[in-house]
Amino acid sequence: MSTTAPISRASMWPRIVLYAVLIVFAALFLMPLYVMLTTSFKTLAEIQQGNMLALPEQWTLTPWLEAWGSACIGLDCDGISGYFFNSIKIVIPAVVISALFGAFNGYVLTKWRFRGHKIVFGLILFGCFIPFQIILLPMARVLGVLHIANTTTGLVLVHIVYGIGFTTLFFRNYYETFPNELIRAAMLDGAGFFTIFFRILLPASGPIIVVTVIWQFTNVWNDFLFGVSFTSGENAPVTVALNNLVNSSTGVKAYNVNMAAAMFAAVPTLVVYVLAGKYFVRGLMSGSVKG
Amino acid sequence: MSFLHIDNVKKRFGDTTVLKGIDITIEKGDFLVLVGPSGCGKSTLLNMIAGLDSISEGELRLNGEVISHVHPSQRDIAMVFQSYALYPSMTVAGNIGFGLEMRKVPKPEREKAIKNVAQMLQIESLLDRKPAQLSGGQRQRVAMGRALVREPQLFLFDEPLSNLDAKLRVDMRTEIKQLHQRLKATIVYVTHDQIEAMTLATRIAVMRGGELQQLGTPHDVYDDPNNLFVAGFMGSPSMNLIEARIEKDGEELVAWVETADDRLKLPVVRDREALGAYAGRRVILGLRPEAITDSRSANHQDGIIYEAALNVEIIEPTGADLYVVTMLGGREVNARMRSGTAVEVGQSAPFAFDVARMVAFDPESEARIR
Repeated sequence: MSTTAPISRASMWPRIVLYAVLIVFAALFLMPLYVMLTTSFKTLAEIQQGNMLALPEQWTLTPWLEAWGSACIGLDCDGISGYFFNSIKIVIPAVVISALFGAFNGYVLTKWRFRGHKIVFGLILFGCFIPFQIILLPMARVLGVLHIANTTTGLVLVHIVYGIGFTTLFFRNYYETFPNELIRAAMLDGAGFFTIFFRILLPASGPIIVVTVIWQFTNVWNDFLFGVSFTSGENAPVTVALNNLVNSSTGVKAYNVNMAAAMFAAVPTLVVYVLAGKYFVRGLMSGSVKG
Repeated sequence: MSFLHIDNVKKRFGDTTVLKGIDITIEKGDFLVLVGPSGCGKSTLLNMIAGLDSISEGELRLNGEVISHVHPSQRDIAMVFQSYALYPSMTVAGNIGFGLEMRKVPKPEREKAIKNVAQMLQIESLLDRKPAQLSGGQRQRVAMGRALVREPQLFLFDEPLSNLDAKLRVDMRTEIKQLHQRLKATIVYVTHDQIEAMTLATRIAVMRGGELQQLGTPHDVYDDPNNLFVAGFMGSPSMNLIEARIEKDGEELVAWVETADDRLKLPVVRDREALGAYAGRRVILGLRPEAITDSRSANHQDGIIYEAALNVEIIEPTGADLYVVTMLGGREVNARMRSGTAVEVGQSAPFAFDVARMVAFDPESEARIR
């Protein structure tokens, strides 16, 4: 709605105050990002002068290159690149497989209901609310038995298992609103269990796939506890490597390198959100409000 | 040899019986309409024919084969759903061809079949669109195309017109009828709209509360109803149901009906033998609005016309007809007169009763007396 009447000065004040408050808070929230970015482009000498909020006098990319390729983590001085690719190796299969499992569970729990489907769903939901710490020991044992301890494959398994609860919840709620008549029509047309899933249901699941992917990607990428518990050395994900880099106690603290490394670790989730963010909100809404 | 035989079919959900033994037989080329108020079990019966609901008891036979426990995809049946159920991610062509694709029909044949059906339904220009880009009427056509393209032995329609607006509904009704006549297809059609039932059917099955009330041609169901429910459900405005008393008048049998200030004597000509046993008892007479009219419109040729002067309570001109309401047996009675008949509210006017069309019901059992 737009109004054509001239806005009186008195009625403008609340709006001005509102925006002022919003701008202050936005600045406050963006401050850490600003400090990280500016610091990462400064030389170490400039940082040591102490002007944390100032823009770099001399822009330099060296800290970024160092963080990527030559910073020392533990005994190796190869930067975080290897660990970055570890994380990618973990996140892609973990997200794809857990999302597929979730979609499949949602399909069965809504369209092929069996006796006790509510209990099964309840138990799966239960998995969403188990604290990470509780499963550390049993999971370590499982990984040992399967001979995938201290591997990225092991972490993939952990994240798939842990993710299924949420992905099932997302897909089940989405498919709950998916008309049953479509399934029946497909059955009469001669489509089987898997054909209905892959040809009818999955192509119509765009919004909820985006939600699940963003959710899972963020959780898996940002995971620290599982990474630090089940891997060590060169098999660690980027979050663990970042921690090791920042917490190394030898020599001078290279804040600029640390900040650049932190940016490397943060960028993928940001990229995913920027690319698919508008679908994220849309997808979250679509379960509750019928389009 | 009947084409579709529904043999004492029952459906139970736990302790509740939804269908209490339905027996229906139709021939090849028949258009069977299952009609009844919501909750009467008509959609359940249709789903059972399709194989989407299991049968608790009884048997289904299609073209001589028992199909009670055959998988839906193997029954050679196609269905048009109320919500159309078009696959949202496929184009119109994809939707229509999906059933053929699943049956591994080679692509060139499939495309030819899609084209033929699209031509027949006049949706050729829409073949590349997605269902979301179609209007209600177009979606309806695509849904029918999806059923037609497979050339099944039996078509099922589940309230296909109920999501369309009034004008489109009448147009599509005509089209479905034309399609049936052209293809000589066998159709089972579910609706709660008795006008749809009357216009489309070759056979009507009126259902209530999981029981079959009457199975017959539209003419049977309309003019020769089995019970009070069928009489009241079919026809709009519905059949006049008038309380009366049967008495012997010498050799003749007559029905006495109370008017506002007097009594009206109507001779009984139909079902006389059965009604003879009701002499001295109360019955409910059934007379269609068009069987009570003005003396000029009355069917003097085939009917048996009995005229009486009655007080006019309400007049409702519809343009084509003039509905005149009078009181008989303490109830409003609708008479359909020629438009422009000179009647005035509060005045007496001549009403012509076609007693040859008069039927009677037992007030207790609600069954037809015949």
